[in-house]
Amino acid sequence: MQEKYLKISELNTYIKSIFDENPYLNKVYLRGEISNFKNHSRGHLYFTLKDETSRINAVMFYSSAITLKFAPEDGMNVLVEGRISCYPAQGTYQIYVDKMEPDGLGELYVKFEELKEKLSKEGLFLPEHKKPIPRIPKRVGVITAPTGAAIKDIISTIKRRFPICETILFPALVQGKDAAPDIVRQIKEADSGLYDLDVLIVGRGGGSIEDLWAFNEEIVARAIYEAKTPIISAVGHEIDFTIADFVADMRAPTPTGAAEMAVPTTTEINNMLNSYEIRLNEFINNLLHKAKLRIDNITSSYILKNPLSLYELKEQKLDNFMDILNNNILKRLANYKLILNNLKGSYILKNPLSLFESEKEKLIYSEKNLYHNIHNIILKNEHSYEMLLNTLKLVNPLNILAQGYSLVTKENTLIKDSNNLKPKDIVNIKFAKGKVKAEIKEVLNE
Amino acid sequence: MEKSFEDALKELEAIVKELESGNVELDSAIDKYTEAMKLAKYCSEKLNSATEKVNKILTENKELVDFEISD
Repeated sequence: MQEKYLKISELNTYIKSIFDENPYLNKVYLRGEISNFKNHSRGHLYFTLKDETSRINAVMFYSSAITLKFAPEDGMNVLVEGRISCYPAQGTYQIYVDKMEPDGLGELYVKFEELKEKLSKEGLFLPEHKKPIPRIPKRVGVITAPTGAAIKDIISTIKRRFPICETILFPALVQGKDAAPDIVRQIKEADSGLYDLDVLIVGRGGGSIEDLWAFNEEIVARAIYEAKTPIISAVGHEIDFTIADFVADMRAPTPTGAAEMAVPTTTEINNMLNSYEIRLNEFINNLLHKAKLRIDNITSSYILKNPLSLYELKEQKLDNFMDILNNNILKRLANYKLILNNLKGSYILKNPLSLFESEKEKLIYSEKNLYHNIHNIILKNEHSYEMLLNTLKLVNPLNILAQGYSLVTKENTLIKDSNNLKPKDIVNIKFAKGKVKAEIKEVLNE
Repeated sequence: MEKSFEDALKELEAIVKELESGNVELDSAIDKYTEAMKLAKYCSEKLNSATEKVNKILTENKELVDFEISD
């Protein structure tokens, strides 16, 4: 028969298992005020967390408690992280605290988030506003406290890495309510152009969020944004992020890190110079080698090695030309010879007298012809002459005179009209036989 | 005015890149090579012979005075 009633331990163990298996209760974040604080001799912390209306028991075991960075006490507002479970022995549930920190930062956290949001919307964090950090600065400005680890780390790091770089410290308050305006004042001073700075480191060493708060102030963020000099922020430790980090041109995790980002090491630069020298020498050797190859190629060419071959080629060409020339001349000579032989074999040359004979025959024929022609001409002319002579006999004035007519001339002019004469004119009168000179007595009118 | 270390280094880099681009005539390549080697020598001397610079601090009166970090 089954026992109807449970043992208390059975119930509490069952309830514990429900707590332990619930994923929501395995990680819980609570904000509350400490009360009934007890620091047990074995190192475990027991207290109650409460707000205005409710409370919960809390336990923080030694292994977690030793990580605390503050001393908890009654009345303190805290933020805790832990799991909810049941303590079966007492039938109570409680929070087993893993981490705890003082609250009151909540307000600052909200301010931080609000400012971050605002400046982000304005574009102050955009990458295009980030100025490049010069690789090799001549002079580095540092804005931090003149005492403390930060400035020491920065200066010693710069001296170790790149001793030819100058540093100028612009001392500033980095903690407290006057810190932000002081940092702003020194950023403006350093950025005034009076100091010819290549890069500016703004920061401080580690501390609480309140200690670092100046670097979360809007005026500091805006001064960093407006500076013309590239700025490296270096606030606190690696885990600390401030508004200054978001707006700076580069964020360094620590002041030492900032110095490392600001300057190269002499060795780096020496190595770089060496590598350039090596590259230059390789380049020039390569270039000279190529040039030499080209020259070698040219000088080792067949022609330059065997200059006579140039002549050989020409000689051969000359031979060719001569052959062509000879062929032409021989052909022509053969041609002429052929013509000559033809001529030699001709009838004329073989019987040169035949030329004369034929000419003689022509001559004889011509002579005969000529004679015949001349004879004809003479006969013809003899006949013509006789005809002409007869005609001439008929018209001869002397013949007319013989019939009894006379010719009267005056000064060798034949007178045919008596009107051409006047008395006393001397005229010659020619008769068939003899002449007289007469003087005109009178011109008679008919 | 004396060439700054950074400028000389930039010039050196530019010449090395130009030469390695292969677009340089032989004569001018040799001139540039000579120039680059001078720059490298200049940088190297400036880097290694320079004495350590003194740290300064800006005082309230806006004067720069030597500053020693105390251990």
